[in-house]
Amino acid sequence: MKVSLDWIKEYVELPESMDLTKLAYDLTMSTVEVEGTEKLADKFDKIIVGVIKEVLPHPNADKLRICKTDIGNEIKDIVCGGSNLEAGMKVAVACPGAVVKWHGEGEPVEIKNAVLRGVPSFGMICAAVEIGLADLFPANNDHEIVDLSAFDVKAGTPIADALDLNDIILEIDNKSMTNRPDLWGHYGIAREIAALYDLPLKEFPKFDLKDVPALTIDIQDTERCPRYMGTEINGVFVKPAPYKIQQRIWKVGMRPINALVDITNYVMLATGNPTHAFDADNIKDHIVVRCANDGENLLLLNGKELSLSSNDLVIADTESAVGLAGVMGGSKDSILPKTQRVLLEVANFNAQGIRGTALRYDNRTDASSRYEKGIDPERCDQAFALSMQMFKEIYPDMQVVAHSDYYPTKLVQNEIDVSMKWLESRLGKVIAKEDIVKKLSELGFEVSFNEDNMHIVVPTWRSTGDISIKDDIMEEIARMYGYENFEPSPITTTFTGAINQLDIDIERKIKEYLAFRCNMREIFTYPWMDDEYVKAILQNTDNILKISTPPSPDESYIRSSLLPNIVKAVNKNLRYYTEFSIFESAKVFSAESFSTPYDPTEKLPVQSKHIGGAFVGNYKTINDLFRKSKGILENMSRYTHMEKFDFIKSDKPVWSDDVLWLNICVDGEKIGDFALLSKQIALQCGIKNNAVMLFELDIDKLRPFKSRTNTFTHLPEYPMNDFDLSMIIDENISWADIKNTILEVNKDNELLKSVSFVEEYKGKQILKGKKSVTLRLVIGSDTKTLTSAELEKTGFGVAKCLEDKYNALLRR
Amino acid sequence: MIDKLKKILEDGEQRIAKTMSETELQDVKASLLGKQSVFTEVMKEMPKLDPKMRPEIGKKVNEIKSKFTDLIDKQRLELQLKADKIDESFDTTVPGIAPPSGGLHPITQMCYDLNDAFRSMGFEIFEEDDITSELYAFDKLNFPPNHPARESMDTYWLEGHDTGCACDKLCLRPHLTGGSVRYLQTHKPPYRFVYPGRVYRNESTDARHERAFFQYEALIVDKDFNFASGKILIKSVLSKVFGRDVPVRMRAGFFPFVEPGFEIDMGCLVCGGKGCSVCKQVGWIEIMPGGTPHPNVLRAGGLDPDEYTGFYVNIGLDRLVMMRYGVDDVRLFHSADLRFLEQFN
Repeated sequence: MKVSLDWIKEYVELPESMDLTKLAYDLTMSTVEVEGTEKLADKFDKIIVGVIKEVLPHPNADKLRICKTDIGNEIKDIVCGGSNLEAGMKVAVACPGAVVKWHGEGEPVEIKNAVLRGVPSFGMICAAVEIGLADLFPANNDHEIVDLSAFDVKAGTPIADALDLNDIILEIDNKSMTNRPDLWGHYGIAREIAALYDLPLKEFPKFDLKDVPALTIDIQDTERCPRYMGTEINGVFVKPAPYKIQQRIWKVGMRPINALVDITNYVMLATGNPTHAFDADNIKDHIVVRCANDGENLLLLNGKELSLSSNDLVIADTESAVGLAGVMGGSKDSILPKTQRVLLEVANFNAQGIRGTALRYDNRTDASSRYEKGIDPERCDQAFALSMQMFKEIYPDMQVVAHSDYYPTKLVQNEIDVSMKWLESRLGKVIAKEDIVKKLSELGFEVSFNEDNMHIVVPTWRSTGDISIKDDIMEEIARMYGYENFEPSPITTTFTGAINQLDIDIERKIKEYLAFRCNMREIFTYPWMDDEYVKAILQNTDNILKISTPPSPDESYIRSSLLPNIVKAVNKNLRYYTEFSIFESAKVFSAESFSTPYDPTEKLPVQSKHIGGAFVGNYKTINDLFRKSKGILENMSRYTHMEKFDFIKSDKPVWSDDVLWLNICVDGEKIGDFALLSKQIALQCGIKNNAVMLFELDIDKLRPFKSRTNTFTHLPEYPMNDFDLSMIIDENISWADIKNTILEVNKDNELLKSVSFVEEYKGKQILKGKKSVTLRLVIGSDTKTLTSAELEKTGFGVAKCLEDKYNALLRR
Repeated sequence: MIDKLKKILEDGEQRIAKTMSETELQDVKASLLGKQSVFTEVMKEMPKLDPKMRPEIGKKVNEIKSKFTDLIDKQRLELQLKADKIDESFDTTVPGIAPPSGGLHPITQMCYDLNDAFRSMGFEIFEEDDITSELYAFDKLNFPPNHPARESMDTYWLEGHDTGCACDKLCLRPHLTGGSVRYLQTHKPPYRFVYPGRVYRNESTDARHERAFFQYEALIVDKDFNFASGKILIKSVLSKVFGRDVPVRMRAGFFPFVEPGFEIDMGCLVCGGKGCSVCKQVGWIEIMPGGTPHPNVLRAGGLDPDEYTGFYVNIGLDRLVMMRYGVDDVRLFHSADLRFLEQFN
């Protein structure tokens, strides 16, 4: 919202010394955010009033003239193509250095001394559109220059002074005053400024109507229309409003139309209460305020044709709707050039209804955005008084022929009790009672005391929801005292024990393990999934929750698994990388089961936190890719200090390769999967040549240890020996079988300390159907150094047991 | 005999000096000092010598042997040093080999930094579900029934979960604050906790607007607490993020769930508060809302607002990370683009 400081000064006398930057700052700190201040005169720098003394033909151009123009202390030749040039005319002269918009179009340009068709010209005589004044001085044609002859000013006067535009405009962020319906007019802002600086606020004019017959108004919905003042006025006609009114509304962003319309806009900008004028001759019988019928048509002033619903409040006559209440008038009864009688509406409408209607038709207006904040019905008095005053001034012969003020239920002012003790504790400061009373009174509150209790009557303009509890009063006092004048006091704490949040910490440990020890990269993806990936990877969409207004039509499912988005991220990164590993942890959702963890009436889907990842490599080295990624999962439990994982094959994921898949279990419970993305699905997702190992597990099912569980073993006193064996063995004998067999057969051999896998080989030198497995034994004694015979006895004994059980062959 | 010994000494010295490797030196040592050495013959001849000469010769032999031992040790050391001598031309300007690259998302990094700071002040970390109900997203937060944020233009409502009751009208949480009420309901006062999480808004996106973004909420609820102390929370966050003291101001702001409410600004770090294009010439940048929890919110959490009060801030993590590193497009955070993520090691 734009606020004119000049207009504010009509209600509160600002000292000459008032620092504008400080005013903007103080308002921002205590009331509303001032986004910018604009010195209007800056726009008209070096543009002055000139008086044309003589208009001479141009020797080289038919359409141009040479104007001998008085610019104050000298006469200058200015070449101009204006169609309405006359000697004696007052014009706007843009002197060299001024900035104008050529014919009102394109980028602003700086005026320089120029030679036009061989004749030197000092600056330029401007059309209104060229200096941004087209709204105030509409031209009849493109070649007309602005005629300022009506202004009683001398040649050489800066335009800003001449046209009374020497003003400062504050730009206020509308969002910062959505809770303050009282601030949507100049008088409200003036009240805040007056209170901020302890300046007297001038009383708003009052107006009493006497002995006027009642106007018939039929209000059918009292709830949505708490007050309606209708006034029928004769003896008016369409003409331009006085310049003072035009420039005021223009400066704050409205276009002057004609006096009748301008009055209603002026009143709204002054009081914050919208008003409307109907052509009374077009109202059939009388005004009816009612809900629309479903499907009822209404043509708005702006040409929009609406098909209304019963949720919309309309202003109607006995025949049909004539306007959308609180939003916009209809075309049927708008002010037209022939208008001679108006019906002035000064009304109050319920905020919620107006908001709904304005949103429904995407038709928010200056009026609706004020009503939807919740204006108090008492303000109609101000709006009516100002309207009457202006009508009288502009139309001295007007007569009020009928008037009614429909206001069945008077607004109740809120009353609040505040204990001073409570106030001081919350403020952390003692503020003198007199100071509190002074500031609150300046804001319109009535304050009285009964010992420790402060009793407050809230002014009507803050009683529509804005101020209702003692915390609101505390805020009023604090902001007026100045938030910057409160010093923070240290926050005290009571020690009751260390913070121990295993469930929170385990996720961080896992993420740090994956990122810093396993060199994976954390990614974030959206919770919604791409249909294509859902179809390929999850396949079944039962129990997947959907967004009713999704970000795009093919992204309505929200994730029940992290994998679709991870695979999509893999695919995306394959444009730049061939080998990488990524992970993500996030909540997943399913409609499978619901719970009520907090409020007994609430039903929430069970949501669990998952961590998932992808290891991307190629099929040629799939063994390495598998072992590296498996190693990361195998060791996760040790490094992050939680219950160990087991890998079993019980439940093949739908998206996995037929062979290369495992389920991850803790204590027999399945907590996730680890597998190769099947080639077919990879191709379906557009991944052609890369092998993608995926894993996903449920963090909520992990069991973090309460403390570290590492165990200490004594360091060996005698040498431990590595003893490697390479065995040729049937390719379908698994490493797990080999290891278990060795451990089982040698369970009483105390010299065999460990068995570990070194490598597996299949290829040219090995018969088809066989593989070579290299394993490493650690052999040693706790009581002596072994002889080589003793060492070999155990080592080859292991080879022997494999030969016996699997028909394996030791490679020499 | 003396001459013979002299020759042995000279020969020995030369042979030791000529050795090129430790094995060679070992062989030389064996022939000079071993069982079958150059002295074997001398020793054999000893009995034939004049008994008067024997002590002198014996002494001489020992001297030579000891000299050889010294020389061999010296030579060994030299050979060892020489074997691993680094070439003069070694180029130390060749770059090192980087460790394999992995890392946390920059938002996670920021979140963990803040968690550490708040934990050090005795705050718990709280996490909550992403899907919530209208009851907690709005009703319990003192949002008036007609608040625009309730309409679908701002919130992602779930399909098929609208039976007309706010308790099972479900949505992706539009902010974290509703979750804070859940914390109040299930814990005992006084409260000190932070609540990091992702929130969702149904908006069109551009470089500054996202549909999914991260918030970080910090909340204190206690008896006898005044709003001005909230500044300590704010300063803690900012000094952690920017590594220095940042000027902060609290100004009037309105949010349904706080009273009084504040817009919290920090001094523009680009211009130092003088005014520049980043801060739209005002010298301050709006970074978070905050304030004292509204009595209705405390009531929803089961507390008596006459007894308890507190302070709340809600920080946009994306925005802070953008400011910390100069990231100019918020959408990069959810892009999963490794070229972006690799920059934050």
